[in-house]
Amino acid sequence: MPFAKKPQVFGASINELTLGTGDKAVTLGGQNVFNLYSFDAPIANAPKIGIEISDEAEQPSPGLTAFYDGCATLADKAKKAASVAEADFVCVHFASADPNGANRSVEECVADAKAVAEAVDKPLVIAGCKNAEKDAELFSKVSEALQGKNILVLSAKEENYKGIAAGAGLAYGQKVGAESAVDINLAKQLNVLITQMGVDGKNVAMNIGSAAAGYGFEYVVSTLERVKAAALGQNDNTLQMPIITPVGSETWGVKESTASAADVPEWGDQDERGIDMEVETATACLAYGSDAVILKHPESIKTISQLIAALM
Amino acid sequence: MALKGLDIFKLTPKTNCKDCGNPTCMAFAMKVASGAISIEKCPHMSSEALSTLSEATAPPMKSYKVGELALGGETVLSRHEKTLVSKTLYAVNVCDCMDAAKQDAVLAAVPKVDYERISERMYVEMIYVRHSDSKSAEDYAALVTKAKALGRPLVLSCTDVAAAKAGVAAAAGCDFILNGADENNFAEMSAIATEAKVLLGVRAASLDTLHDTVEKLEAAGNKNLILDVGTASVKDAYANAVQIRRAALKDGDRTFGYPSIVNVAALADGDAHLEAALLSLFTCKYGSIVVCSEMTYAKALPLYGLRQNIFTDPQKPMKVTPGIYPINGADENSPCCLTVDFALTYFLVSGELERSKVPVNLLITDASGMSVLTAWAAGKFSSSSVKKFMDEFDVAGKIKNRALIIPGKVAVMKGEIQDKLPDWSVIVAPNEAVQLVKYLRDEEWKKSYVEKGAGAPAGAAAEAAPAPKKVIPAPPIVVNGPYKLEDKVVTYGGHDPESKKFVIIGERIHCISPAIRKAMDSYDEGPILKRAAEQIAAGATYLDVNIGPAESNGPELMQWAVQLLQQNFNNVPLALDTANKAAIEAGIKVYNRTNGKPIVNSADAGSRIDYINLAAANDAIVIALCSADGIAKDNDERMHHCHNMLERGLALGMEADDLWFDPLFLVVKGMQDKQMDVLNAIKAFADEGLKSTGGLSNNSNGMPKHIRPIMDSALVAMCMMQGLTSAIVNPCDLRLMETIKSCDVFKNHTLYADSYLEI
Repeated sequence: MPFAKKPQVFGASINELTLGTGDKAVTLGGQNVFNLYSFDAPIANAPKIGIEISDEAEQPSPGLTAFYDGCATLADKAKKAASVAEADFVCVHFASADPNGANRSVEECVADAKAVAEAVDKPLVIAGCKNAEKDAELFSKVSEALQGKNILVLSAKEENYKGIAAGAGLAYGQKVGAESAVDINLAKQLNVLITQMGVDGKNVAMNIGSAAAGYGFEYVVSTLERVKAAALGQNDNTLQMPIITPVGSETWGVKESTASAADVPEWGDQDERGIDMEVETATACLAYGSDAVILKHPESIKTISQLIAALM
Repeated sequence: MALKGLDIFKLTPKTNCKDCGNPTCMAFAMKVASGAISIEKCPHMSSEALSTLSEATAPPMKSYKVGELALGGETVLSRHEKTLVSKTLYAVNVCDCMDAAKQDAVLAAVPKVDYERISERMYVEMIYVRHSDSKSAEDYAALVTKAKALGRPLVLSCTDVAAAKAGVAAAAGCDFILNGADENNFAEMSAIATEAKVLLGVRAASLDTLHDTVEKLEAAGNKNLILDVGTASVKDAYANAVQIRRAALKDGDRTFGYPSIVNVAALADGDAHLEAALLSLFTCKYGSIVVCSEMTYAKALPLYGLRQNIFTDPQKPMKVTPGIYPINGADENSPCCLTVDFALTYFLVSGELERSKVPVNLLITDASGMSVLTAWAAGKFSSSSVKKFMDEFDVAGKIKNRALIIPGKVAVMKGEIQDKLPDWSVIVAPNEAVQLVKYLRDEEWKKSYVEKGAGAPAGAAAEAAPAPKKVIPAPPIVVNGPYKLEDKVVTYGGHDPESKKFVIIGERIHCISPAIRKAMDSYDEGPILKRAAEQIAAGATYLDVNIGPAESNGPELMQWAVQLLQQNFNNVPLALDTANKAAIEAGIKVYNRTNGKPIVNSADAGSRIDYINLAAANDAIVIALCSADGIAKDNDERMHHCHNMLERGLALGMEADDLWFDPLFLVVKGMQDKQMDVLNAIKAFADEGLKSTGGLSNNSNGMPKHIRPIMDSALVAMCMMQGLTSAIVNPCDLRLMETIKSCDVFKNHTLYADSYLEI
């Protein structure tokens, strides 16, 4: 007997969310099947890849350092990052804004963001410094300065969603990222709160939390799977926002990526390790439910792009 | 997969002949479905119907062993549904098309990746020995012999019958799989595999052909198979891997109920990073054996970590093996930092210690995989467990430095640990792991260090050492007339143990509450009596008394608490709750049974099973938690624990009514999909005539204050419908109490009156 194929196509679908404008705009989500299950139904939009740059020194990777060698400003770096053909969007991480770190002023960051926006035509994602108060201010001001660019701010959390939803989302019409720490109930709750502020759920993307493979990644797996199961299987429109997962910022911080070859000779080349850590973690995120991943190393981006193309 | 009664009914002759002793075929089918009667009781079942039934009750996916390696046996598609049981195995590909030097190099590289991560050995489990059409059977046999020398199970990949025979002969004596059946050669390959008693791999150009070929093999009697997802393209291989597994587990297609093989070496075609991506992809979904061209540390470090994460049992905490872990090149002169064996704690603490770059010996003690505070509250992380660890691992013999840094969260343990380990200087670390970096780098810990032992000036240690924890003797019990709460006299109305009414065990006298902990430390009766009065006034039947681990004065403290409460409140019955068994026994000695037996809180089916003996020896009721170490993964396991404990209790002479089974209530935030399991377990207890109880409000842990009473009331109503006979709850939750009283009316346990809520 031939195989009785039973495609798992849902009545519900993930929201489509477009970032950027013009030719280079990208659309996340849209599918009515589980991630990468193109054998069940055509995937509306293939998963997307962002390239992340920091306004501080990149984590210790000889390859990354070499790649950005000669970039004097953040805009130079962004231009270089955008030159990676496989990267769909550029994520600018304002690490320097951290009050417990360099504590650069919002005005300086806004000036940098403007310069970046002028230098690149790919869609922009703005990542904050993780300080709730500073991020709320930063996101509002950057959103104002980049009005019309259709950027995504990454992200609003339980502590600061009000200001970000009101500023970035309502006042300046940008896309709002909703960040929760691998907790499906909190992910849903935050989406509800942000939409109750008046932001259309169709303008929200979720960051449900991230981890490097081996570091409690099982929580990421189960949260991704359960979010998609609720969004598609139960038609829960408070969880149908596309999921965007910062991967590189996690994977380049664990010892498998940071230990130099001199420290652990049997492990071999440091960049190779960092790339594989980034590639394998990103692959797992895509397999379980991320609609976009944000990576750092151009080599990882090429590989993940190749993988996505092969699966579509 | 359990069959529903209606499915079974369809297979019966539907004649209502009553030969089985049941009035109708429908009644018979329902009983079969519930397991109350065996299908054989019907003399008229056709053999096809019987085989359909046995097929339907067989597991959805076969499980096998290749040597020590487990394959298959999955019942769910996602780890959160239950647990994934057989982790993905990795193999390295070697082919007879490679020249001899290349073959040798590939095989020589295999043992290089071999390390341990959280008690699991990480290495290449198998060798994939591939035959190419261009080579002879002899060449292939020679390669098999070479690969065999590594002493790992082999996968022989070979569709040529003659070469397969030669390869199988060469592999004799080692564990292997023959991956070589296709639509043309399956009969001969099956004969070879069957004779060699090995698994047979099946491949095909399409899923239709694969399905067909497997059916033919099964019809010929071979059900020891593994399915090759093919190497036509990444897209096809992935589609096949997912659809095969989904068909077996979700759609009940048993023809595809076999493990899978994925050859990513062929799919990646020499691109090392793509190969890493594919290794990850097929570990996620759904490769049983994944074959790569080479395993490097770059690929392995994330891959094995990922696999370990995915295949951990979501209901069991990940544990690190207890022991001494030297960090940053620590030696016998480096200080010791002590913590628990919960894997996330270990990663967090060891990561911060590494960042400090200060050499430290990290001591990991056995705390059943719980986090620091949870383990402390459960009595799994105590001065005794620390002392036991220090002795067992001969830490004093191995390490000369006498600084022992303990987690800030359990600063309360310092005195007790210091008493038990007088040669060490016990130092309390900061509360959070991130603070360790500065704490160690700036040598802040040295400020609290006290020199010990022979090298120290005489008398110095005694003077500088912190005073051992003061054990105050318990004061006499005082009863100052009837207890008044806001001028209203609170009296306990009595309890009839024969009553069917729901038993409410008040949970508010618990040492995790700072006020109660302080009161217990100083024998301050005020806060304890106040909480008791509030709970009694609100309608508590029993009061739970949790005194914590109470290592230094457990028996005395428990006796004081028992007498204090019973003498002030008309012998209110009590549940004695502590990890200190001597304290429970002492408490029972002074316990007055007028209003019911004491309750021992609690036994479980694991390390606390002997609390049943304690209850039996003291004629007490025992709360029997249906879990061993960690939450039961399903109701089969819950009922297994239940029956084990019941049997033990009965053997010790207990009445079944004195074992109150606790299904272990689960948090909705996190385990929403398991709530019905808990409710069904309660029904199963009730169906067997057993009593049940549990910490019901755990369901709403982490929810906002105003939501909790709503969730708790809804759950208690559903639980009482299922037959729950008691719960450990907060009686001061009015909504919950009103729900319980109303349910008692519906269950006809108490007669209705308009004022039923007030009595």
